[in-house]
Amino acid sequence: MTWQLFIFMLINGLCQGMLLFIIASGLSLVFGVLRVINFAHGSLYMIGAFLAYSLSTLLSGESLLGFLILLLVIPPAIAIIGFVLEVTLFRRVYREEHLLQLLLTYALVLILDDSVRVIWGGDPRSVTRPDLLAGSVDVMGMALPSYNVFILVIGPLIAFGMWFLLYRTRTGNVIRAAVSFPDTLGALGVNVSWVMTSTFMLGCWLAGLGGVLTAALSNIDLGIGMEKIIECFAVVVIGGLGSVGGALLGSLIIGTGLTFFQLPFGRWALVFPYALMALVLVIRPWGLFGKPER
Amino acid sequence: MDHMTSSSRTQWISGITLIVILFVLPVFLNEFGRTGEYWIWVSTEMIIMALFAMSLNLILGFGGMVSFGHAAFFGVGAYTVALLTKKADLPLFLALAAAPFTAAITAAIVGWFCVRLLGLYFAILTLAFGQLLYMIVFQWYTFTGGDDGILGIPRPEILGPTNFYWFCLVLFLICFFVMKMIVSSSFGLSIKTIRENMERAKFIGINVRRYQLLNFIIAGAFAGLAGGMLAELNRFAQPDFLHWSKSAEPILASLVGGMYSLAGPAIGSTVLIFLKIFLQQIHPSMVELWAIVLGAAILVVVLFAPSGLVGLYQNIYKKFQS
Amino acid sequence: MATPILSIENLSKSFEGNQIFSNVSFSVDQGELSAIIGPNGAGKTTLFNLITGALVPDEGKIIFQGRNIVGMEPFDIVRLGMARAFQRTNIFPKMTVLENIVITIITRLKGNLRFVKPWNSSRKIERQAFGILESVGLADKAHQLSGTLAHGNQKRLDIGVALALEPKLLLLDEPVAGMSPDERWETVELIKELWNEMSITMVFIEHDMDIVFGISQKVRVLCYKSLLAQGPPSEISANKQVIEAYLGEEV
Repeated sequence: MTWQLFIFMLINGLCQGMLLFIIASGLSLVFGVLRVINFAHGSLYMIGAFLAYSLSTLLSGESLLGFLILLLVIPPAIAIIGFVLEVTLFRRVYREEHLLQLLLTYALVLILDDSVRVIWGGDPRSVTRPDLLAGSVDVMGMALPSYNVFILVIGPLIAFGMWFLLYRTRTGNVIRAAVSFPDTLGALGVNVSWVMTSTFMLGCWLAGLGGVLTAALSNIDLGIGMEKIIECFAVVVIGGLGSVGGALLGSLIIGTGLTFFQLPFGRWALVFPYALMALVLVIRPWGLFGKPER
Repeated sequence: MDHMTSSSRTQWISGITLIVILFVLPVFLNEFGRTGEYWIWVSTEMIIMALFAMSLNLILGFGGMVSFGHAAFFGVGAYTVALLTKKADLPLFLALAAAPFTAAITAAIVGWFCVRLLGLYFAILTLAFGQLLYMIVFQWYTFTGGDDGILGIPRPEILGPTNFYWFCLVLFLICFFVMKMIVSSSFGLSIKTIRENMERAKFIGINVRRYQLLNFIIAGAFAGLAGGMLAELNRFAQPDFLHWSKSAEPILASLVGGMYSLAGPAIGSTVLIFLKIFLQQIHPSMVELWAIVLGAAILVVVLFAPSGLVGLYQNIYKKFQS
Repeated sequence: MATPILSIENLSKSFEGNQIFSNVSFSVDQGELSAIIGPNGAGKTTLFNLITGALVPDEGKIIFQGRNIVGMEPFDIVRLGMARAFQRTNIFPKMTVLENIVITIITRLKGNLRFVKPWNSSRKIERQAFGILESVGLADKAHQLSGTLAHGNQKRLDIGVALALEPKLLLLDEPVAGMSPDERWETVELIKELWNEMSITMVFIEHDMDIVFGISQKVRVLCYKSLLAQGPPSEISANKQVIEAYLGEEV
């Protein structure tokens, strides 16, 4: 392997990892506060991607403005869907046993995924990249797709934004308190259901953002929701359920791991996330950054 | 006490009646030519999936362990039958007898890791192992045929559709009574005790992990048999048999039918398959909407009747009694 | 002099840097009925958790019937003849009262791995179970779901479950907590009766000083991360240190 190829693959892997992080951090955050593993997170991500496709056909996709509109409109739209789901459904099962919560979100997967199929059909779609991001940039003599570089910039920005939100704002303090001491939150005089709803919306916003970014990166089809949710599980389990920092680490490990293992192992590389997830769960069930329950 | 014996007598009578009906069913269906043959096939599938659902419920309802990887053992059973009959030319009966063993061995290995974890983590670890096995089967072209699966599993000549139905029904009934025996045995009570209060169970001297693992293996073995039967019914085995969405099916069946009874999941599974085909019969395009209908039905059950159809029936029955 | 059934030697435990115990040592004599008292947060329940194997001490030995049980699993310690009843009711709620006792007897007899015979087919076990239910006054509720029992009766069942293990040492964590005054004295009488009849060594944690000084032969006071004092009730209620640290002006 030449060092150029190495750098090239590293950047591709990190790009995949960053995209995964954006989606998985939403799942992790929602688990941290709501204590519900949301199977439907992948479906919301997929809806984001397909909505981006539909909206882009209405706008002139190649313009930077059009793409910016997608980025500004779709994630909040998914957040609003999340709001409706949280208020009408999730809220009613927080006190129930895990099984019922899992089944509720699984039912949503069935409903949402099938709705996507009914509305958009099974053909692969994609969003045209805006001109500015369609070419490639020259880095140390290598031509890197500028869109991948763009994601590499967006990813850390989101990570920084979430760090700022969680550690430097009052809202963040409340959310972190909710993660660490779920029982005592009500006693602090905080409106708990508001915290839960807004966290859920933030998680959905991230899923929607991931959807838009994916739609312009590669083809989207009906399988991406299922595929991504399992990858997200792997990420949050490796990093630790509820830990955003862990989600970042987990995403980067899986993104780069998948890219690098593809060279020697071909399609067997796809086994990597599951094997790593099983390994971490056995050695450190609460994840690399998580804390043991109780 | 008198009341209990009389209700158990009605149970016996209705049970035997049901068994007789199930045995006679294909004779009746055979009168209807192609349609009848189709329904015999469907009924066979229902019996097999009912066994699969009941096998999961040994750990889910009776053991209180939520597994999202149960399809892995179902799939291992299916591939055991497919590989042994097709590549080793073993007779079907031997291959079917091997299926629960390979599944049990797989379950022992997976379970050994999984029972160390509790609750949600257990669910995710079973999911991870299930998907790991799925990916292996999916990728390993030289051994499992990859995503094509293994096609053309041979069928002994005497096992026509009707005979195969009876064969599956007999296997199902044997399994049913063995499971009934297990859940009402001392082991069954130990498992329920762990479900009720794992911490306290340790303090009456129960080695919680050991019994959970044993239960996990037993459930895996029954799932393996069901998988082997389905492979023979379809005459193929494919990676989808191990996919996590397949693991969700018996969970949904248990939820719909009711988790705290032996027959509940079997009923739930049958109802769900019937519902799917019923929709299909109304209009072919309804199949497109099946997942939406199923999802909505689960939402209703989760929100309004978490104890399932059997629980609902018991509630109504109680109201009538009082 | 009686031989100790349980000896604790230099026991230390801390959680995330907070020392709960340092160097606690004492021994419990065969056949004694004794109490452990101490202010809230003195670690009384933690002590039980350490003895029964729910927690592992950082240092020290716990010798039960001549055998160091540190590091053993709770279910193995139970099999050596140590049982406990819990402060918060801790039973198997969706099982009947009888089932609660029967599974305990089955486990004591190592019959958990019987797959064929129904669990309720043994008349002998059933008779034993009813015997225990009678001694804790729950025989008439045998077929009721235990989760539907009143609080006081659930605590009695919890004690019954512990008795079904035929323990040599029984640890009771606040056996009368949350009971009405009438129920309290009934339960105290029950404990005393059981102790008289069954020759079990009993150690209980209790806050109610009337009960503590009323029935125990020996009282141990946990305070300041260690054992502050131990002795017969009369000695303890006159102990200056104990009065200053814990009993205050009340006694």
